[in-house]
Amino acid sequence: MADEQVLHAEAASAVVPGWEPRIIAFLCYWCSYTGADNAGTARLKYPANVDIIRVMCSGRIDPELIMTAFARGADGVLVCGCHIGDCHYLAGNHKTMARMPLVRSVLADLGIEPERFVHEWVSAAEGEKFAQLVRHTTEQIRQVGPLNWPKRMHDRGVGHGMDLQPWGDGR
Amino acid sequence: MAGTGGNGAGRGHSAAPDARIGVFICHCGGNISDVVDVKRVADEIGQLPGVVLTLTHMFVCSDPGQALIEQKIKEMSLNRVVVAACSPTLHQATFRRAVARAGLNPYLFEHVNIREQVSWVIVDKEQATRKAIRLIRAAVERTRHLIPLDKRRIPIYPAALVIGGGVAGLVAARDLATRGMKVTLVEHRPFLGGRMAQLHTVFPTGERARELLATLVHDVVRHPLITVLTNAQVVHSEGVVGDFQVRVRIEPRGADERLKDQGNAIAACPEETLNDFNFGLNRRKAIYMAYPGCYPPIPAIDWHSCTKCGKCVAAVGGKGIKLDEQPREVQLHCGVIVMATGHDPYEPLYGEFGYGIFPRVITLQQLIRLLDPEGPTGGQLLPGGPPPKRVAFIHCVGARQIEGQSNERAKDYCARTCCTAALHAALEIKEHHPETQITNFYQDIRTYGRGHEIYYERAAEQGVLFIRYKPERPPRVVPDPQERWPLVVQADDLLTGGLSLEAPADLVVLATGVGHHDIAELIGIYCCAVGADSFLLEIHPKLRPVEMSTSGVFLAGACQGPMNISEACAMASAAASKAAAHIAAAQIEMDPFIAKVDEAICTGCQTCLTVCPYAAITRDQARKVAQVNEALCTGCGTCAAACPSNAIQQFGFSDAQVLSELEMLLEGAAVV
Repeated sequence: MADEQVLHAEAASAVVPGWEPRIIAFLCYWCSYTGADNAGTARLKYPANVDIIRVMCSGRIDPELIMTAFARGADGVLVCGCHIGDCHYLAGNHKTMARMPLVRSVLADLGIEPERFVHEWVSAAEGEKFAQLVRHTTEQIRQVGPLNWPKRMHDRGVGHGMDLQPWGDGR
Repeated sequence: MAGTGGNGAGRGHSAAPDARIGVFICHCGGNISDVVDVKRVADEIGQLPGVVLTLTHMFVCSDPGQALIEQKIKEMSLNRVVVAACSPTLHQATFRRAVARAGLNPYLFEHVNIREQVSWVIVDKEQATRKAIRLIRAAVERTRHLIPLDKRRIPIYPAALVIGGGVAGLVAARDLATRGMKVTLVEHRPFLGGRMAQLHTVFPTGERARELLATLVHDVVRHPLITVLTNAQVVHSEGVVGDFQVRVRIEPRGADERLKDQGNAIAACPEETLNDFNFGLNRRKAIYMAYPGCYPPIPAIDWHSCTKCGKCVAAVGGKGIKLDEQPREVQLHCGVIVMATGHDPYEPLYGEFGYGIFPRVITLQQLIRLLDPEGPTGGQLLPGGPPPKRVAFIHCVGARQIEGQSNERAKDYCARTCCTAALHAALEIKEHHPETQITNFYQDIRTYGRGHEIYYERAAEQGVLFIRYKPERPPRVVPDPQERWPLVVQADDLLTGGLSLEAPADLVVLATGVGHHDIAELIGIYCCAVGADSFLLEIHPKLRPVEMSTSGVFLAGACQGPMNISEACAMASAAASKAAAHIAAAQIEMDPFIAKVDEAICTGCQTCLTVCPYAAITRDQARKVAQVNEALCTGCGTCAAACPSNAIQQFGFSDAQVLSELEMLLEGAAVV
């Protein structure tokens, strides 16, 4: 989709006026983060909704981090790592590949729409793929609307779903 | 070692209550400030607790910018520094050094990327500014959880492995050994010399290729620090830069130095196969020497053709030939690796310019073998007949091909060496047979390089003809319709406005391109970066031309792309210098982002042992807890993610650090 089309699509589909999806992306440093840099160097354009957290390897992405992102109000989470076979740490991404279906099934149990969680491999050379992924993910989550997980849980009378208190000192 | 300051308790460690954070925001000369309102960013970040300084600067990475960081750290007793600028890939190391110069631990620094991932990708200035603020706020929060860390220093095992025994590998091995490094040279063929051994004379000096090689081989095999393994292939490799553990498989040679009567052994062999050294121009025995004077000076058995009939053994009285020898494996320990795996010439398809159909259509490589007095015909171009009266060269065969017009194996890039090589060969024909008329059919021609330009001039002076064809309309090779000549090359001469020409020929030579040598297994073993042309890829073509992205692996010669011998040797020497510099440094500095187990929390469940890609975690049997071997840990953090008790923390990426960043990014996102 061309940048302009994305902007039009954004305008047309805004479900809640003034609401902008908040998306957290966990990227491995060696492939996907560099791929995102590559999109920047190529001056590709994508929406401002995705905030990137850098980890050394996608194998570091503890499912708990993803759950925490939702518990803290994220509307969506994006996980990217090196393609299978390209891992800087041999096979860290194999662990990612094994864990992500688990995340998917837990999210389904919690009633969080599957569209809110995207897992893709992005190599250091795939700037275009990354930009396209951000555009597509943002649009997909925009269509689903706000999640506001803490409020949803609160309204159902089951607490916040996850502890919203900050971890105390010595967390 | 790393993490001397970490207490490692539970989720990492608590936030520093007395943080004095300085935030530097870069304009990047407008690259950032044209989109992001850096003034507003500075104002908002300045409101955060603990932030005692926010500054914007035109180029924070410049010397004045770095000096400013140092000055402010000292002046304002900053104990945390945040720089919001380009990607950390570019300048994280620069800023860490600046922080260290000011006496602050370099790991109390946080880099925020507001160029590649903000100003260059987001059109809307308001959204870009808000995203920059979010990212910097998160980084500021993260710095509160940073702890001082020390770089890890890994000792480098002072030995090198050179893969490939062609001219580049030989030069690299010699140069490394000259510097006092222990070297193992591994060649997968039974003989050293590679592609250079198949040449007759070399341009621009006209020296004999194998004489030059012999000097080099002599230096290498006589050097006490160099071990040469032929018939040997790397099959497995573990470890990283400084400490590679490499397994090499050595196929049996079949013969050894006790074999005295080599001639009789070879003569006794009843099996023949196409001689690949001569590009199939003749046949050789199953037990053979590749070329006169080759090293090792011991015949080798080609196990694909050998039937183990035993006639060679009988001919020499059973001495020095073993037909039942088994492959063996050796384990090598080395700190650095030089890849010198070379290239393969492009082999034309059956029927491409008549190749394979007409025996008088040959490749340039075959012509060079024919010109060689030690070659299959003793230097005769047309075996058993008079020298050819007319020779036609067709250039750029399988190179510079237009996409969609040619076959899949043909290359779209220029093979660089064949213009000069073809004219060098043409002049050699002229030298022996001045009456032979030579015609070149070319797309573009350039004998580039010092001392090479003369080849075109000399060829033109001696009456060699040049006919330019259009890439869309390559020449056609057909039998002479009037049967006066074996073949005719038909082409449209671009320089006379497309006039159709016919050049009769006794011999048609295809100046073929250069392709990569298939090293898929090595590429897999060392996670090598490969270009679109299938050659190995350097980190940066100008700034780091002989280093691979896999740390400790270097590139020498034509495995990196088409190049002539001079260039291959220059690259090999460069690779050897780089590799030697690594070894001379005795140790390599690595980021301290390794994992640490909190033994008070660890339940000894061993989940981490199963996920570690480097087997860096073991279980202390006595205390029933996991232990990280710091030398083996590379800092991926997979164990930290897997630990069900959160007993493992990764320095620089602890739960507290990542969660603080995450929470601050999402501050205000949840409305209850």
